[in-house]
Amino acid sequence: MDALLTKTEKKPAATKQKISGSEVLLRCLVAEKVQHIFGYPGGAIMPVYDALYGYADKLTHLLVRHEQGAIHAAQGYARVSGKTGVVFATSGPGATNLVTGLADALIDSTPVVCITGQVFAHLLGTDAFQEIDVINTTLPVTKWNVQVTEAKDIAPAIAKAFYIAASGRPGPVLVDITKNAQNELIEEFEYEACNTVRTYKPKPVLQLAQVEAAAELINKAKRPYILVGQGVLLAGASKELIAFTEKTGIPVASTLLGLGALPCEHPNYVGFLGMHGNYGPNINTNECDLLIAIGMRFDDRVTGNVSKYAKQAQVVHIDIDKAEINKIISPTVAVHADAKEALDALTKLCTKNAFPEWIESFKKLNAEEFEKVVAKEIRNTNSLKMAEVIYMLSQLTKGEAVVVTDVGQHQMVTSRYYQYKNPRTNITSGGAGTMGFALPAAMGAKVAAPHKQVVAVIGDGGYQMTVQELGTIMQYKIPVKILVLNNSFLGMVRQWQQLFHGKRYSFTEMQNPNFVKIAEAYNIPAAKVTEQKNLEAELKKMLASETSYFLEVVVEKEDNVFPMVPAGAGVAEVILEIPKH
Amino acid sequence: MKQDYTLELVAENNFSILNRIVNVLNRRRIRIKKLMAHENENDFRKGGAVLLLHTTSDAMEKVKHQLEKLIEVEYAIYTLGSNHYLELSERIVDVD
Repeated sequence: MDALLTKTEKKPAATKQKISGSEVLLRCLVAEKVQHIFGYPGGAIMPVYDALYGYADKLTHLLVRHEQGAIHAAQGYARVSGKTGVVFATSGPGATNLVTGLADALIDSTPVVCITGQVFAHLLGTDAFQEIDVINTTLPVTKWNVQVTEAKDIAPAIAKAFYIAASGRPGPVLVDITKNAQNELIEEFEYEACNTVRTYKPKPVLQLAQVEAAAELINKAKRPYILVGQGVLLAGASKELIAFTEKTGIPVASTLLGLGALPCEHPNYVGFLGMHGNYGPNINTNECDLLIAIGMRFDDRVTGNVSKYAKQAQVVHIDIDKAEINKIISPTVAVHADAKEALDALTKLCTKNAFPEWIESFKKLNAEEFEKVVAKEIRNTNSLKMAEVIYMLSQLTKGEAVVVTDVGQHQMVTSRYYQYKNPRTNITSGGAGTMGFALPAAMGAKVAAPHKQVVAVIGDGGYQMTVQELGTIMQYKIPVKILVLNNSFLGMVRQWQQLFHGKRYSFTEMQNPNFVKIAEAYNIPAAKVTEQKNLEAELKKMLASETSYFLEVVVEKEDNVFPMVPAGAGVAEVILEIPKH
Repeated sequence: MKQDYTLELVAENNFSILNRIVNVLNRRRIRIKKLMAHENENDFRKGGAVLLLHTTSDAMEKVKHQLEKLIEVEYAIYTLGSNHYLELSERIVDVD
């Protein structure tokens, strides 16, 4: 051994040092200013993990308990910070376990780069152990993916991956690297970041004619109405949105993912849109004369029945993704542009205006909702309702926490009752509706924003889909707060069964374990609330905790979320209670 | 009303590019009547495909933008009818 070392030391100084493909990868990540990686090792990615052993001072790797946890954590990390989340996974099942998260990140425009190990190149297509065609498996759920079989191609692929993931409409990218490429030695290199791809034009050039046409419609409108989506947040255009609405006086409603783009307390903010959105925003969609949709894609949960959607209105649609324009709604004027640039240009061209009566009409409708729904929920005295838990959470955190929700009733209730003040504080699974998203996403969000209060709000069903990530939270002492609203039902499905399937509760009732004991088994302090009188004190205790904390609130079993636009109905057919017939 | 359309695509000639293109069409259940794919005669790193599709004008216009959204697709253009398909495919066969 000594002789070998001596030989190595005597290498001629002029010879360039050779490094492995795995080290190339890690140097690329350092060059891209990556700080955190969420991952899980396995056979086909072992050379990368071996190299990672020597990078502890440059890259922080968090060992999750399941690859789905890794990608959701990376999503939460990206959504809070605006930086690209990074994931490592091995071949075969390691890679296929990422698929749900990739689909989620694609539809919700989240920048994530996943690195998967792959079997040796000579084994590709031979049904080797843990060999799966990852490229074709993940092709429909990635913005871009690529397989690398030689070490020299790793750096260009990683550079391209980071550029594509974060530019234009962001999305997930997967780089699949064969084991031989990870092991192969190549000469040291200078990393070159990618800033152009010949066939890819991420950011359209703002067309002044489009903006002028939009401004003309806006300046003439009597009942204009702004709908904001996540595109405003992704463009970092909250200030531009505030300037636009304050100059034009136009009311603003938000999609699920747009929440936080305009503070909920802003006088022009009129509420949350869609199937379980507020009453005013839904009804007035069919009363306005101009819809100004910014960075949103007219999801069916927003539009309800499209044939009954805003037929009376002209439409201005601003979006960075050309494929979204005219996909669902044909706009009168399309502005194919980044939201920040478009809003800035529009504000200059629009005249100062005010629509007090029009805004008042939203408030009147929302007052009706308050009387029939909200008042009964937050001033309820009989049993604990989801709404009063979130209402109190919002008050105690002053709307300033990062709130990560899962999917279902609790998600809709949180979207209605949490009064978001800041951009990038509402983290949820929107388009894909992925149960199991919240716990790992909250973990990633807390890693990205250690000084912010991060609260995961989860139902008892979704919590059990990725509950294993309590292990990651324990191991890395991630002080995330976990609030489970337990109704012992898959609540949203049960609600549909009650309303549309004659109360035939087919496989939606759950017998749950002792959640407090489970959290305690992971050394996470835990408590359970079953009575209203204890709610405030227990929420305060959770929020004051300097460590991770688990709080289970047992809520009313058969509570429903209203308002509701029933399936197949138009937005103006939104209901506030169970129909009497 | 569904009609025949000729779709011409120019793209990077990377592995899986054809799968990416067909995947976009499959998602919308667009019927592919004929398909011819080829490398660029001067530069194997580029390539193209000509497809004869049977669908509506609305779906055709929407799918064009979804295809152009693919990172490796340079452009996608379409014309009504099958004549253009025959011309383009004959040209490709002649080159080969």
